[in-house]
Amino acid sequence: MTDNAHIPEETLALYALQALDQAESLVVRAHVAACAECRTELARTEGDLALVAMNTEQHPLPQGARERFLSRIGATSETEPATVISIGNKTPAMRTTAWPAWLAAAAMLLIAIGLGFEVHTLSRQLDATAQQLAEQTVESRHAHEVLDLLTAPAAQHVTLTTGKTPPAPAARAVYLASRGALVLEASNLKPLLPGKAYELWVIPANGAAPIPAGLFWPDTAGSASVVMPNIPAGVTAKALGVTVENDSGSATPTLPIVLAGATPAAGE
Amino acid sequence: MTENLSNPNLTRERSFNRSSESAGAPLFTEADDQSLLEGVRLKDEKAMANLFDRYGGMVYSVALRVLKDPGNAEDVMQEVFFQVWQNPQAFVPRRGSLAAWLLVVTRNRAVDVLRRRKPSDSVDDVILPASDNIAVETERRTMMEKVRAALHRLSPEQQQSIELAFFEGLSHSEIAAQTGDPLGTVKTRIRSALLSVRRAFQP
Repeated sequence: MTDNAHIPEETLALYALQALDQAESLVVRAHVAACAECRTELARTEGDLALVAMNTEQHPLPQGARERFLSRIGATSETEPATVISIGNKTPAMRTTAWPAWLAAAAMLLIAIGLGFEVHTLSRQLDATAQQLAEQTVESRHAHEVLDLLTAPAAQHVTLTTGKTPPAPAARAVYLASRGALVLEASNLKPLLPGKAYELWVIPANGAAPIPAGLFWPDTAGSASVVMPNIPAGVTAKALGVTVENDSGSATPTLPIVLAGATPAAGE
Repeated sequence: MTENLSNPNLTRERSFNRSSESAGAPLFTEADDQSLLEGVRLKDEKAMANLFDRYGGMVYSVALRVLKDPGNAEDVMQEVFFQVWQNPQAFVPRRGSLAAWLLVVTRNRAVDVLRRRKPSDSVDDVILPASDNIAVETERRTMMEKVRAALHRLSPEQQQSIELAFFEGLSHSEIAAQTGDPLGTVKTRIRSALLSVRRAFQP
């Protein structure tokens, strides 16, 4: 969608409306981050959306809403220093939020010692905080890897289809061999029998055995995704394929291949 | 479903501000917003309260329009303003007016709640054209009239597409499935509808 060209304006509008699927949104976000022209057009589109929102009928605030809000910010003023907390999931923000949270955890510990609070209670809270931060760190790293994959010039964009008869099962994948990074977004998948799963395969160009790249199950709409499966780096792929396997996974693909797509020759 | 977009009678008396504040009141200026935001950066609760008074009704109304539930709409409103309180630097003046930024962020958060999904973007992702000065250059009622007229001129299919995408938060494929229209047609309708709104403000 974005290899060398700009994002189509229709697609930018859908992105601004959050009407794209996750994989498409990630691709657009990565492109917009690096393309001033598309960023400008996206800004114009966001401005259009603001104008549409302006036409919303005005309603009075619920009783007490103002007081509830002021009480909330008053409570934070008394208990916390100013910290930067993102309610979104933009990757750079996630990377930066972990450190203020660690500092907050450390501050909690010092306060507990100084004031003689119940140490065991705070300890449990700190454990929970540390666990949460560890999870955030993993998520942050994961998101960073996804963004790196989507923005890498060497990443190969592969479309996997079974045919042209709608609504045909289809999948779109982005694969970066040098990092073993892969994202796949599938749609219109047929439901599976109990005990079965779809399995994604990386088919090496050197003729080696296909490498399993993740099990996935479609939702009720037939959509599914595989994000950053655990696969080895440095495997130049000839193609990607999807088979139906037992839900515990398989070491080798079971025919037939229900979805397949060859990697572009120019890729890694 | 598209009535609100197409029927000007339903919106004739709408005000961008709370009615008690807008009657005869001078328009808010971008400079006002910036000075208040500067106060928020310094953790001045009065400055935050002023911003809340200024835009609370607008933000709540957009959230209510999407969610159709006063409790959930207030939750979204509280969260948006709390984000401003905690992270005022997320709004960068060169991105456009604070009002427009709040509108878009609120709509996105409300749709996230409606779709029961995690926030699908960061407030940092919402950028607006620097020239889009809702608070400064144009009287808001005039702007609303222009928007209303532009939306009213859209075809019923365009109005429905915008309604479903903007206020119902449906994806383009969901809209295509619901309307029975081809995906490409849905995309084009949404894009052309937004362009029509934009053109209403071009000389």
